Amino acid sequence: MSDQSIPRKRRLGFRTLEKWKDFSLALPALLFLAIFTYFPLVSSFYISMTNWDLIKPIKKYLGFKNYERLLGDEQFYHVLKVTFTYTILDVVLSLLIGLGLALLFNHRSRAFGVMRLLIFMPYYISMVIASMVFVWILNPEYGVLNKALHVFGIEPVYWLNDPSTALWSVVSVSVWKGVGFAMIIFIAGLRSIPTEYYEASSIDGADKWRQLLHITIPLLSPTTLFLVITSFISSMQVFQSVSVMTGGGPLGTTKVMVMWIYEMAFVQFKAGKASALVIIFFFIIIFFTFIQFSLSKRKVHYEG
Amino acid sequence: MSSKGLLITTRYTVAILITLLMFFPLYWLLITSLKSPDELKAAIPTFWPERIAWENYSDAFHAAPFGRYALNTLIQTVGIVVLQLNISLLAAYAFAKGNFWGRDKWFFLVIAALIVPDQVTFVPVYVMMAKLGWLNTFLALIIPNGVSAYSIFLLRQTFKSLNNDVLEAAKVDGSNRFHIIYRILVPMAFPTVVTVIILKFIGSWNSYFWPLIMTNTNDMRVLTVGIAMLKNSVGGSEMLNWHLLMAGSVIVIAPIVILFVFAQKYIVAAMSHSTFK
Repeated sequence: MSDQSIPRKRRLGFRTLEKWKDFSLALPALLFLAIFTYFPLVSSFYISMTNWDLIKPIKKYLGFKNYERLLGDEQFYHVLKVTFTYTILDVVLSLLIGLGLALLFNHRSRAFGVMRLLIFMPYYISMVIASMVFVWILNPEYGVLNKALHVFGIEPVYWLNDPSTALWSVVSVSVWKGVGFAMIIFIAGLRSIPTEYYEASSIDGADKWRQLLHITIPLLSPTTLFLVITSFISSMQVFQSVSVMTGGGPLGTTKVMVMWIYEMAFVQFKAGKASALVIIFFFIIIFFTFIQFSLSKRKVHYEG
Repeated sequence: MSSKGLLITTRYTVAILITLLMFFPLYWLLITSLKSPDELKAAIPTFWPERIAWENYSDAFHAAPFGRYALNTLIQTVGIVVLQLNISLLAAYAFAKGNFWGRDKWFFLVIAALIVPDQVTFVPVYVMMAKLGWLNTFLALIIPNGVSAYSIFLLRQTFKSLNNDVLEAAKVDGSNRFHIIYRILVPMAFPTVVTVIILKFIGSWNSYFWPLIMTNTNDMRVLTVGIAMLKNSVGGSEMLNWHLLMAGSVIVIAPIVILFVFAQKYIVAAMSHSTFK
């Protein structure tokens, strides 16, 4: 061996130096994560044990009192219910419509390619702007939706001011923005299913509907799982659309978790209580993500 | 017509109708921005402006400092993209090709950060920024967003798939790591690098929650926050200032729409590969 001539100690020193050099390249990323993600996570937990008001340097240690107060507060359960209702509506509608669109638009031609892009584009448009356009479309007096409904003799609906329609209106923006993404991902999934499966089942006499139920949907399950988990996590964090469209009203029917956290911290200056809510919220997200992963382990069909 | 021809015609018709419906909000945004205030009150909404009211755009600039907002947004966006890209490239190299103690455990710590949303970290980071005196400056808008676990992940996956022989040859030639990353790996992984830049650009341009919290004066606001505040201050629904709000909205989304049209092949490719298998 050629490096036999190099003294053992020096070789080790060289290798150690090389390792340090590699490690130092990862260091900026690790430091940023430590400072702006992991330290704040621990710090949030510490603040949640105090009655801090975000401004004064003094704070009193309260132990788990903030948590007890939140869990004993009726509003906590209300906000939780609103957040989950929003999330379930958003995820289910986006995925169902997204799958329908994927089946319709999975056609290899230029025209369909252009149409797919037009449907996908809103996904990248600012949620603030999307919400604003919907507020204008849903305007009770001058909005184009109520004008259209008027043609069918339907009385003006106060979409964002009516407690029975406000949450649906907020969901509609997110679905409009999100279905294109679901469609693109589903199409990628559809195209990875080997065509032999369809050919074989056609020979066996299966019709399109059976193929959808017994081949397409089961083989799409890894794609569906990916979409369920990513859209669940992002739906739970909804804030912008609520902030622009309803501000949490009417009568708190659209008051979602992040809206409440924001108000508590930056309107009421209850940083301690807000941090306790943040920590609870964080564990809820982790818990449900974990559940979805473990449930799907048994249900998802991975190919090969 | 044969039944197959009928099927295709039906498919096209349904697809076109759905596309029109999906595209309608963006069309309505653009059209409203070009209508006069009187036309907005028309009993029957017009689908094309009677007179194209270009002055809505200059009026929007008078209603709020959109030029300043746009400049702030651009500085914030470019700052985040440049910082994130460089940090991510170095880290992606270290995690894909490097050799150090507990490399994959460190990488797991990076990936685990994906599950921590902004809303969990913002109070302590806000306090940190206040203590440093960075609130209401670009530092608070850019530095806390300096790292993206997602970008590191995407780049690492691509780097890992690249052949080691070229890298070994470069090492033998005495190239240092920076040379290997920027001169050899970046060109080889070019599509992924472009994708990371585009996705981060769009994400930072559209960000709302973070700049809303970190800035508090009008001259530091970004477009998304500025226009949301304009809406609340003029009370969009009552005062019928929708022509101005929509003109402002066009200013916010125009760069993203243009970017999307030109870069869609990178975006769609990245999205299609982002599912885990």
